[in-house]
Amino acid sequence: MATADVKGLAVGTATTAAAALGQLVSGLGTAILTPFVLLWLVLAPGGVRVLHALAGMERVRLARWGPEVVAPAPPPVRLRAALGDPTTRRELLWLVRHLAVGLPLGLLGFVLPVLALRDAAFPLYWRLAPKDATATSIGIGVAHSWPDALAVCLLGVGWIAIILGLTPGLARLQANPGRRLLSAGPDADLSLRVAELTATRAAALDAHATELRRIERSLHDGTQNRIVTVTVLLGAARRMVARDPAGADELLERAQSAAEQALAELRTVSRSILPPVLADRGLAGALTGLAAESAVPCAVDVEMPRRCAASVEATAYFVVAEALTNIAKHSGASRATITVRAPGPRLLLRVTDDGRGGADEHTGSGLTGIRRRVAAHDGTLRLTSPPGGPTVVEVDLPCGV
Amino acid sequence: MRIVIAEDDPLLREGLALLLRAEGLDVVGTADTAEGALDAIDAHKPDVAILDVRMPPTHTDEGVRAAVEARRRNPDLAVLVLSAYVEQSFATELLTGGVGGLGYLLKERVGRVEEFLDALRRVATGGTAIDPEVVAQLFTRSHQDVRLERLSPREKDVLALMAEGLGNSAIAERLFVTDGAVHKHIRSIFAKLDLAPTDQVDRRVAAVLHYLEDARRRS
Repeated sequence: MATADVKGLAVGTATTAAAALGQLVSGLGTAILTPFVLLWLVLAPGGVRVLHALAGMERVRLARWGPEVVAPAPPPVRLRAALGDPTTRRELLWLVRHLAVGLPLGLLGFVLPVLALRDAAFPLYWRLAPKDATATSIGIGVAHSWPDALAVCLLGVGWIAIILGLTPGLARLQANPGRRLLSAGPDADLSLRVAELTATRAAALDAHATELRRIERSLHDGTQNRIVTVTVLLGAARRMVARDPAGADELLERAQSAAEQALAELRTVSRSILPPVLADRGLAGALTGLAAESAVPCAVDVEMPRRCAASVEATAYFVVAEALTNIAKHSGASRATITVRAPGPRLLLRVTDDGRGGADEHTGSGLTGIRRRVAAHDGTLRLTSPPGGPTVVEVDLPCGV
Repeated sequence: MRIVIAEDDPLLREGLALLLRAEGLDVVGTADTAEGALDAIDAHKPDVAILDVRMPPTHTDEGVRAAVEARRRNPDLAVLVLSAYVEQSFATELLTGGVGGLGYLLKERVGRVEEFLDALRRVATGGTAIDPEVVAQLFTRSHQDVRLERLSPREKDVLALMAEGLGNSAIAERLFVTDGAVHKHIRSIFAKLDLAPTDQVDRRVAAVLHYLEDARRRS
């Protein structure tokens, strides 16, 4: 076997074991709650609700470490109804197993690395330990000499071997009851799930249609009008060329500049469909790029745990681009700040500056276009700009995923 | 001829006004919304209103609705609707109010100044100007109609020009034939399509358009 293969195998095994340990310990998180929930069920009212909540937590946890656990339809919360409900009965069964198996396994996942570390590192500190103290973690033997200490170290290596070899299996063992008992059974009613997926899919399609409509509109009302203007001016110039060559030339000049505008608009439209930088570097990277190009020094603070729909990110990008242009042109600001947050299914965007304020979106067309674009995504744009500043542009967009 | 122009694109609006003024026509008012167009029509009482279909706020069919409303308020007003693309439903909506003094053209026809001015004059004097593209669509979609198949190729050409709103002599000029020949073709067309013959251009256009529209629906 080549060295690279050995190295790859070693790294692979270590990574798998580390992930398995993490999973075991995270399982401890829900397992440690099981005795309390069990007590609650027996002693206090409202326990069914708590049981459902804990089962929900476990589903989320399992989805983090593997395939999604599809939840069955929400079970009843009243005790009498819940007792006859198969979902609740399965959750109860899971609760007992997670307490009996998941909790010890979780503890093992916590203790094993500690033991391994303690014993493997024993030669480093055994001389500092009090005389006649138990040397090994399993509670037998006293080390009096270097060979003894090395033997303890060997025990540590043994622990590591156990971790590498057994933890993936232990993690599976701990997860199995949840995966089996908490998912919707094969005969379960999945109509709710289907309805949910249908709704999100419809929303995505709708966002797509909105984007297509916006592009169609900018082509028809912008570029096409420009080109029509060119033909109108050319037609007028042709009529004029014999009787008034100078006037015809002026019309041709106008026609040419209209054609140039058409080209510029075409460029803008194609860029506005999706700025290439968004696909390459994500919203955070794209906004950092915009800030770097800004004439006014600009700080960027983006916290997005996941990506939003491409058209939504593009909209956010254009809001910032327009805001920064306005800041550079009109505000007299010395610095600007871009903040992006994505709590839950929404994208919140805020651009502030320390300029003189008094911005009016009706004087320039840029912000009006941006507002239309935001509205097309079912979002809102708020501009506050009292005289004396500061100017704040706030945009709230549905994430679209 | 007194004209009101409603077009939301400033460059195109100015270009149109420039073109018409250079031709000695009187542009008495301009507007950039459908509302503004109705106000300008009420204020200036023009002979013709030139309306863009898509205007603020929704950029859909404001111009068509303004055209219908303006003609309801002033039955004598001639309206020429300009559109960026052919939409059959717009044409149908416009034509249900009668075809006299009505035009529906693609925007780029304005560049062919001579023909555009012809169309404008025709509409201003109570005639009709339907874009060849609209007529062509009606033709292609109603080609399964057996009676249309009875027409000779030349008769089909004449029918298409008739549907656009041209009079006999204008058709003769386009096809490089005599007025008499056109007259003969038209009589033959009406006979083959079972339409009542008429010399009045707008009634003729209405008959032809309704025939084509019917044929399209049936197919």
